[in-house]
Amino acid sequence: MNGADLPGMLPEMLPRLWAFALRLSGDQHDAEDLVQRACLRGLERAHQLQPDTAPLSWMFSIVHSTWINELRARSVRKRSSFDWDDDFLENLPDPVDRGPETQLMHGQIIEAVERLPEAQRVVMLLVAVEGLSYQQAADVLEVPIGTVMSRLSRARQAVGALLGGETPKVRPAKIQKDSIA
Amino acid sequence: MMADDAQLLAYVDGGLSPEDRSAVEARLRESAEARAKVALLRASRLDFEDAFAQQKLPPVPDSLKLKVDEMVRAHRAPESNDRALPPGEKAPSEPVRSRLRAMPVWLAAACVAGAFACGLFVRLGPLASGGAQMTASADVSPWVAAAVGYQKLYTRDTVAYTQEDPEAAAKAVRDIRSEDRLALRVPDLTSAGLTFKSVQRLRFNNKPLVQIVYLPKNGPPIALCVMKDSKPDQPVATKTVDAMDVATWRQAELSYALIGKSGDVDLGALGKRISNLDMAPLFSDASPIAPATSG
Repeated sequence: MNGADLPGMLPEMLPRLWAFALRLSGDQHDAEDLVQRACLRGLERAHQLQPDTAPLSWMFSIVHSTWINELRARSVRKRSSFDWDDDFLENLPDPVDRGPETQLMHGQIIEAVERLPEAQRVVMLLVAVEGLSYQQAADVLEVPIGTVMSRLSRARQAVGALLGGETPKVRPAKIQKDSIA
Repeated sequence: MMADDAQLLAYVDGGLSPEDRSAVEARLRESAEARAKVALLRASRLDFEDAFAQQKLPPVPDSLKLKVDEMVRAHRAPESNDRALPPGEKAPSEPVRSRLRAMPVWLAAACVAGAFACGLFVRLGPLASGGAQMTASADVSPWVAAAVGYQKLYTRDTVAYTQEDPEAAAKAVRDIRSEDRLALRVPDLTSAGLTFKSVQRLRFNNKPLVQIVYLPKNGPPIALCVMKDSKPDQPVATKTVDAMDVATWRQAELSYALIGKSGDVDLGALGKRISNLDMAPLFSDASPIAPATSG
């Protein structure tokens, strides 16, 4: 894949960019503005997309830098959690085949991640939620891979401290393939 | 060896070589703090991906889908001087030199132009509902409301990276005057601290819309947009549209809208200076005159 494919891939990526932007900004208007600006930037710079860079993590990187450089300052996070307006949710199917315990646990996990400091929260969103490798997350955030791992470790410790009293009712996290050697 | 946070995480998640693993285990035997951290890391071996996948999020807004589709379409459109025209109505035009493809403003303008054409098609609905309230737009022409909505997409970065191309700008001005038959005057706003960056031919409702972009010393760019309008002259009036400051006036059968982010520049005063022909024109003979300053 290369830069020439980006225009064709953007519409498909949109749901994931939207979810990432929503979780980053905590606000629907900010998220829409953020994704719009990021897509514009992405198309402007499509020729800079290297063949060895995954287009999705490249777009995450643009969303993130647009958030940091342009939008975050004007928008103090308005919500401490994702209590979205019910109007937007009425058409979404309820999760099926999931017991109330699992749903409760999911809610606690999301809340625990929400409460993390931003730098740790973003790393959690990229690695644990979006499934990026440590190296991809490092590229997105333009920090060394060791920094990604340290932040992730501190984030996981904080989540562990919050949820430690609970017996995990869900499958364990996937093992990261990256080595720190 | 030090068992730092990153290594402990790799240890818990099984990402260490056997040697490193033994080293961490040795460290764990000595350090209660390291053991406590490992316990917390084990307690957080959760399926975050699954948990977040069940999170109820609002769906992607239709207005966003539409805008991205338009940006993609504009990006893919064959290179021509009139990207704004809807398919099938393309006027004969000279190809734009390929190096222009790398110019962010040009592309941004193409996106704007595509969106304008789309705005015509969808009767401005999605434009007006583009994420922000248009409460003050009742007394604003549709073209001004659309121009404001898309000026919001412009950031300082979008414009600052542009390399000025006086030749291309002069050609655009010539085309606007001869083909669009619009008596365009591009004011030099250097004395107000604004650097000329670009002039673009766009279309709205299938009529020429000229967008002149200036960059202030700080903050996002400011656009002077011009359309033909045969109605009587009107003095400069300012209003806030969609959180942007807008100064509008009509003069010599041209409608003007000066658009910028609220609070950065006194657009009303600037609009009066422009309408009083207080500023010398750039491209006075549509000859390639370099902008007075650069930056």
